[in-house]
Amino acid sequence: MSQDLTRRTVLAVLAGGAVFLVKKANGQIVWQVNAARCINSRLGEVGVEACNLCTTECVVALSAVRAVNEYSKCGRCNICPAYFNITSAVNELGQPSEKLCPRDAIARKPIGKVDPEDPANNFYEYIIDEEKCDGCGKCVMKCKEPLGLGSITLRVRYDKCVNCNRCSISRACPQNALVQLPVGQAS
Amino acid sequence: MQYRQVQTIDGKGALRGIAVDSRGQLYAAGDSEIKLFDAAGRLKQRWPTSRPALAVAVARDGAVYAGEMGQIEIFDGAGKLLRTWRDETLLGRVTAIGFSKDSVLAGDAADRAIRRFDGSGEFLNNIGKDNPVNGLLIPNGVVDFAVARNGAIYAANPGKHRVEWYTPGGELLGHIGRFDGIDPAGFTGCCNPTNVAVRDGIYTTEKAGPRVKAYDFSGNLLAVIATHPFNPNCKNMSIAVDSHNRVYVVDTEKLAIFVFEPVTTV
Amino acid sequence: MSRLPQVIGRACVLLALLAQTALAQAIPYQRPVDTAPQADSIGGGYKVPAVQKPLPRDYWLQVVDVVALAAAMGVSVWLVLRRRSRRWLTALTIGSLAYFGFYREGCICPIGSLQNVVVALADPKYSIPMVVTATFVLPLVVALYFGRAFCGGVCALGAIQELVVLKPVQVPRRLDRALGLLKYVYLGLAILFAVKPALTRDFLICRFDPFVGFFRRTGAPHMLILGGAFLVVGMFVGRPYCRYLCPYAGLLAWCARLARRGVTITPNKELDCGLCAEACPYGAIEKMRAVRRNCLYCARCYASCPRDGELAHAKLVRSLPDGRGSEALSEPRPLGSEGGAAS
Repeated sequence: MSQDLTRRTVLAVLAGGAVFLVKKANGQIVWQVNAARCINSRLGEVGVEACNLCTTECVVALSAVRAVNEYSKCGRCNICPAYFNITSAVNELGQPSEKLCPRDAIARKPIGKVDPEDPANNFYEYIIDEEKCDGCGKCVMKCKEPLGLGSITLRVRYDKCVNCNRCSISRACPQNALVQLPVGQAS
Repeated sequence: MQYRQVQTIDGKGALRGIAVDSRGQLYAAGDSEIKLFDAAGRLKQRWPTSRPALAVAVARDGAVYAGEMGQIEIFDGAGKLLRTWRDETLLGRVTAIGFSKDSVLAGDAADRAIRRFDGSGEFLNNIGKDNPVNGLLIPNGVVDFAVARNGAIYAANPGKHRVEWYTPGGELLGHIGRFDGIDPAGFTGCCNPTNVAVRDGIYTTEKAGPRVKAYDFSGNLLAVIATHPFNPNCKNMSIAVDSHNRVYVVDTEKLAIFVFEPVTTV
Repeated sequence: MSRLPQVIGRACVLLALLAQTALAQAIPYQRPVDTAPQADSIGGGYKVPAVQKPLPRDYWLQVVDVVALAAAMGVSVWLVLRRRSRRWLTALTIGSLAYFGFYREGCICPIGSLQNVVVALADPKYSIPMVVTATFVLPLVVALYFGRAFCGGVCALGAIQELVVLKPVQVPRRLDRALGLLKYVYLGLAILFAVKPALTRDFLICRFDPFVGFFRRTGAPHMLILGGAFLVVGMFVGRPYCRYLCPYAGLLAWCARLARRGVTITPNKELDCGLCAEACPYGAIEKMRAVRRNCLYCARCYASCPRDGELAHAKLVRSLPDGRGSEALSEPRPLGSEGGAAS
């Protein structure tokens, strides 16, 4: 019957198409922030407000983009411009009195040998709590060169990203900093 | 005190460390060469170094010491190579050179310390390493110091936001400066001052809000020499002061040397 | 929404991290920094902590989703065609809404996957994961044999609309046909925007999904209002998105036409009472026969049939030739003035 034939033809087309597409399959692609283009990270942009489009545009309730500190590149400075608000008044310890992160997501702890006479003269590790961070980019902007060493960058976190076909942050980003990469190359 | 900019010298390539000799000639290290500018700012001579040159200094006898990675090369005033001091451990990354009485001092950024050698290259002692953090705190990767007339070594310790001075034997004598993000007398940011020069006062350069300042030896701010001509992305701006109290500062982004002069009010 | 898959998934992520060396080069960054103090310089037994590099959802979990899709469709076919139980079908609907809707947050879905397939066919550089291809193909294959089983109790968008059907009105056939053309317009637009080059490519179906805001529990206000409007309308006009807008529905409808089996209203002059036609909220019964391409597998017709379940009726059904319903063995009895499913 012609209906059987049509059905078989459609099935063959579907099967053929599926085989063709499966052969093309090359693993998953994911979104990632290109720090070379991100306003908060790249050289040249000074005196501008930190861009928080990653926070506001992501479709997930708490953005999948978070600030990440690349520890091997962190200066471990006593007065970290990303941790402290360095334009606030200095307290009696010689530190700025205010912290920068609006969600208090950065923790500071001394590492290495602590100077017992003057704990301010020491190395400090700065750890970002990703559950609190919302990717607003303030710390990233302050950490970037030349003010800091640029060890904090905004990154898409894959345990939170739903991997949309077209990332809504990528549609809003004025620098096209959201790029798609094979999952093995993204971090 | 006020300063005004009197000159801009085109660096003719990359610029790292600078030094000024007694005749007002300017030596600049950059790329893999040493450049010599006359007092008017014209490029007089340039000669290559075997490794990228990070720092330069002129001894009293006119020899030009070039600090590089793993070695110091010593040239005569015309650019002929006289000696090479090579030591991958002690001279890992020489970012500053100075002279104190008979010794040659080299700032090794790889080990965060200043090394003291005698005139023939024998290592004598370290300076700046005798503290719990085992060296100077230099997240910017540059050790900079200057030697005062009395032989004391004034070293910038940017992680501690101060300038410290030591005896040539390595004993800490004192320090000036503190962190302050608002008061111009303080050093702002994560690690400032990055570079220091000494003549009749202490001259410092800072990054991120680049500026050049002068202090007296008690730590009082004498002048904010300049802020505006610098590219805001400058970092590790080398500074030198000549016998007329003219201040030479490198702009590491525009690759030029700005010269400032105190405005003498009669 | 058990946490167990996530716990197992995270354990596998850790194992994968340990197994893989050099998991990623980060994207290169201008003016790379090599001046930061390293562990030996800091001293005191300090070790540089590793930066967390969380991996996306495990592959085997994505395969589980595809298996779940196939299984749910199989259950839907069995529940509607064999058991004919609306109660169990509602349970399946709720289960699908919970899993595919609120747990997986509506992504990936077969409706959206058609865009990925289109892009993969048009752009030689685009790589489509196998699970997405499977998600696209499976409901169509099922439709080829059994009709729109996907729509009945499996599709999360359909499920949420199915659960709000309150007092459906019968849409006049001409209007129903005209509105039904909208889904082909949407299909065309979705394909058009999907084949654009990479930076200008737009995934319309994802962007204008009215219900994804509910699944994610967050969304742009205008989309949430739109979704709410669809649901409110859906109380009175059954499943408006599915019947008039869903671009995948067009493809399913074409396949369902060719199905061997499906919902069947057995032709019989004595038995034609028309209750099923009144009961069908989706206009899928015309002239007392099931219109396979419109049937959304809700089993209301079976539930409303007073003779369904009777042994005699069952025997009668099985003894008749394979009911495609094209040959009417009797004239349909004219019904009340409600414009029923009769023309």
